[in-house]
Amino acid sequence: MTPEDAEQLIHQLGLDQPLGIQYLVYLKNFFTGHFGVSFHYGEPVVDVIWDRLPNTILLFTTSIILSALVGVFLGKIASWHKGKKTDSIMTIGALVTHTLFLPWLALILIWVFGYKLGWFPINGMISEEVWLDPDAGLIKKGLDVLYHMVLPLSTLFLIHFGAYLLIMRSSMLETLKEDYILTARAKGLEEKDIRDHHAAPNAALPVVTSVGLSLAFSINGGALTETVFTWPGIGRELVFSVSQNDYPLAQASFLLIAIVVLISNLVVDVLYAYLDPRIRY
Amino acid sequence: MTEKTTTGAEVKGLQKYPWVTSFLEGWAIFRQSLLGKIGLVLLTMFALMALTSYIPPLIDPMYNPMTGVDPDITDSTGPSLKHWLGTDFMGRDILSQLLAGARVAFMVGVSAAVMSIVLGTAIGMTAGYMGRFVDTLLMRLADMIMVMPTLLVVLILAAVFGQLNIWTIVLIIALFRWPGVSRIIRGQTLSLKQRPFIEAAKVAGASHFRIIFRHIMPNVLPLAFLFMTFRVTSAIIIEAALAFLGFGDPGTVSWGMMLQWVWKTGHMFKALYWLLPPGICISLITLSFYMLGRAMDEVLDPRLRREDQTD
Amino acid sequence: MALLEVENLCIDYRTKNGYLRAVDGVSFSLDRGQSLGFVGESGCGKTTIGMGLMGLLPPNGFIREGRILFEGEDLVKLSPDEMRAVRWRKIAMIFQAAMNALNPVQRVGDQVAEAILVHNPGLSKEKAMEQVEELFELVGIETDRMRDYPHQYSGGMKQRAIIAMALACRPALIIADEPTTALDVIVQDQILAETRALQKEFNIGIIFISHDISIVADMCHDIGVMYAGQLVEYGSREEVFEDPVHPYTKALLSSFPTLTGQKADLVPIPGETPDLIEPQLGCRFCDRCREQIPSCKEKTPEWVAMGHRHKALCCRCEMGR
Repeated sequence: MTPEDAEQLIHQLGLDQPLGIQYLVYLKNFFTGHFGVSFHYGEPVVDVIWDRLPNTILLFTTSIILSALVGVFLGKIASWHKGKKTDSIMTIGALVTHTLFLPWLALILIWVFGYKLGWFPINGMISEEVWLDPDAGLIKKGLDVLYHMVLPLSTLFLIHFGAYLLIMRSSMLETLKEDYILTARAKGLEEKDIRDHHAAPNAALPVVTSVGLSLAFSINGGALTETVFTWPGIGRELVFSVSQNDYPLAQASFLLIAIVVLISNLVVDVLYAYLDPRIRY
Repeated sequence: MTEKTTTGAEVKGLQKYPWVTSFLEGWAIFRQSLLGKIGLVLLTMFALMALTSYIPPLIDPMYNPMTGVDPDITDSTGPSLKHWLGTDFMGRDILSQLLAGARVAFMVGVSAAVMSIVLGTAIGMTAGYMGRFVDTLLMRLADMIMVMPTLLVVLILAAVFGQLNIWTIVLIIALFRWPGVSRIIRGQTLSLKQRPFIEAAKVAGASHFRIIFRHIMPNVLPLAFLFMTFRVTSAIIIEAALAFLGFGDPGTVSWGMMLQWVWKTGHMFKALYWLLPPGICISLITLSFYMLGRAMDEVLDPRLRREDQTD
Repeated sequence: MALLEVENLCIDYRTKNGYLRAVDGVSFSLDRGQSLGFVGESGCGKTTIGMGLMGLLPPNGFIREGRILFEGEDLVKLSPDEMRAVRWRKIAMIFQAAMNALNPVQRVGDQVAEAILVHNPGLSKEKAMEQVEELFELVGIETDRMRDYPHQYSGGMKQRAIIAMALACRPALIIADEPTTALDVIVQDQILAETRALQKEFNIGIIFISHDISIVADMCHDIGVMYAGQLVEYGSREEVFEDPVHPYTKALLSSFPTLTGQKADLVPIPGETPDLIEPQLGCRFCDRCREQIPSCKEKTPEWVAMGHRHKALCCRCEMGR
């Protein structure tokens, strides 16, 4: 690049303006959604993000919903068999899986199911042959995505369901001491009905709160999972952009993650209000 | 009537030291917790690992985790008599690396915990004591920080500052861990604030500063330490995750770093002896701290104890 | 045939220090349409009797001895499933409104309906709700409150809802455990009056458990005074209230303020209830009794008949009044 070209580029990018003006321009761009152009991709950052966002949402929300539902279900059962073998197995299982190091678990799963057994693909979200095939219908494409999702989803699920199990279990044990459980028993309900219709709905409330509290943990995990499995999502993009010093992309990714955190917390609050009639705004 | 746990302290006539009594009582409860015992055993094992990490390089320079090179080996090899866990892709001994990693884990965990306790205690006491505007401001800040995904924020900071060294990493982690401590300390401070001896100090003309540090802090600190010491796990995991992603301190051998190497050098599928140990260690140390934390909870909060335990 | 006949009921709790005899050799009977009140301090075993009758003892509690003959059938011998069919359908319970007796996340109407549906599986939801409406009207709650949640009810309304729920299956016997504690006296009065009316209408037997002897004297035909797990005096309301024999009964009566009669000092009962794990020989009330004689401590007191049904468990009384 000649000095004249460099000067022209600098002028184009507005880098010859005083710093104060540059900052104001930056803010204006920020709030009007102009996040600049990615150094690495050469595309506007917004496009890159918009492209990746659905992938992250797909993986992330599916994993949270799955681990929460299974965790709550198993936690309920564990509390009912408190002290017996079923409970011990579940509690220990939850403890052990919850403390596994996520990237390591991911690598192990890749090694076992991807490499040794060859059952599932180990990176990416799609197989190009399927998606480039003009005859492939929506179902075939959807199944392909699902196929690629199995391993990353399993990783996230295994790491997270344990926490929900343990919380639900202790919540159930607390709830079972409540007076209305005695009422239900006095009314002549079967133990199973008492557990499922009276205890569980009340015991599940603290679990909802804990989903909100552990969101940060889940988001970290999501980013790591995406990176190891090269799942094309925002988390991976963030990690990638940082390593490439792609500032515009890194910044926008981070902002987006912050927004995701805020929205998820809001969703959790609303969900809690919906489930607990004592809290209505 | 019942031969309950009259503490050893009473027997030894050390009744006048309340710390000893409560420690022994706590120990009696702790001893009954299976989780606590397992956790303690595991943790001791790791501590031993950390301590013995200094030994291998002394035996032979080739055992140095970072720079040790076995002249006979140029690639990753499996376990052998000379290298009990094998070597990595550069011919360095994996066991030495594992031991060094234990040392780093403790260092990171403990330092981050201590820093976050110091920070959290200072902020918590200030918030609780000052009340109103300062309190609200600090607690809102705490809320915001608690919600943020620490790993990703540290990542961004890594982007800004370039390569981070281990102490910077520890400091940044501590900057994100203090909110938890501060909440608890604030609660304690709020309840202490009402007590007569604080009133007395105020009347005697003590400055706010003096009251906070001389009167409130001694009552608040033991709880802080106990409560948070076993929350070190997240610091260890964050450092490991950072190292795994390639943003760790290239001069330190941590377990996360080991995983990074085995992953990025494509030895993942071939070298199980390299892939398994570091991951198992990270997971186990997390587990042991968690178990200890649970046992500590039972000691500190009587409501959590099982009904058949002596109290 | 009496609705309920209890013979020598003994209920124990397993504790880490041994077996705690919460109810020791209690016997009584109740006819349909009559009420029996149990009074005593906390820990005397009155609530345990109620729980024992319903088969709702906690896991560490069990009936060691005795028979509970309800409409001729011994409840102690029933299997858990058989007991479950009896519960609520034949014997229902009214809890304290102050307790968290209603499920906070379920609508009150649904909870009452549940009581009906459990024992009438073939019934449709609509029909059950119609019955709930009738019940609400019976106890005096506006039917448009059926779809509300418990936290939206006042204390008095909650108590009424609990009563409505208890009446759902038209039981023959209702056990009311401190039903008006924690309600203000006006509401308390209303509820007691309404309960009396309902009892008359449906010819229900009521066992009333309370620490407040004045309520029990107001509501019940018969009174049983409990102390340390034993029934120490038993008889009709008039006999016990106007002619108390056992020192504890006398002490209880004089420890409650009254608007009528001579002005007198309130006399508290000093001391604490005895340890029920190793109950002493001799009279349990001995240490706190103002009328004790030396033999009280050694001899196990026996029942002394005072009148038609009036009896008291006291050594001293034997020696003639």
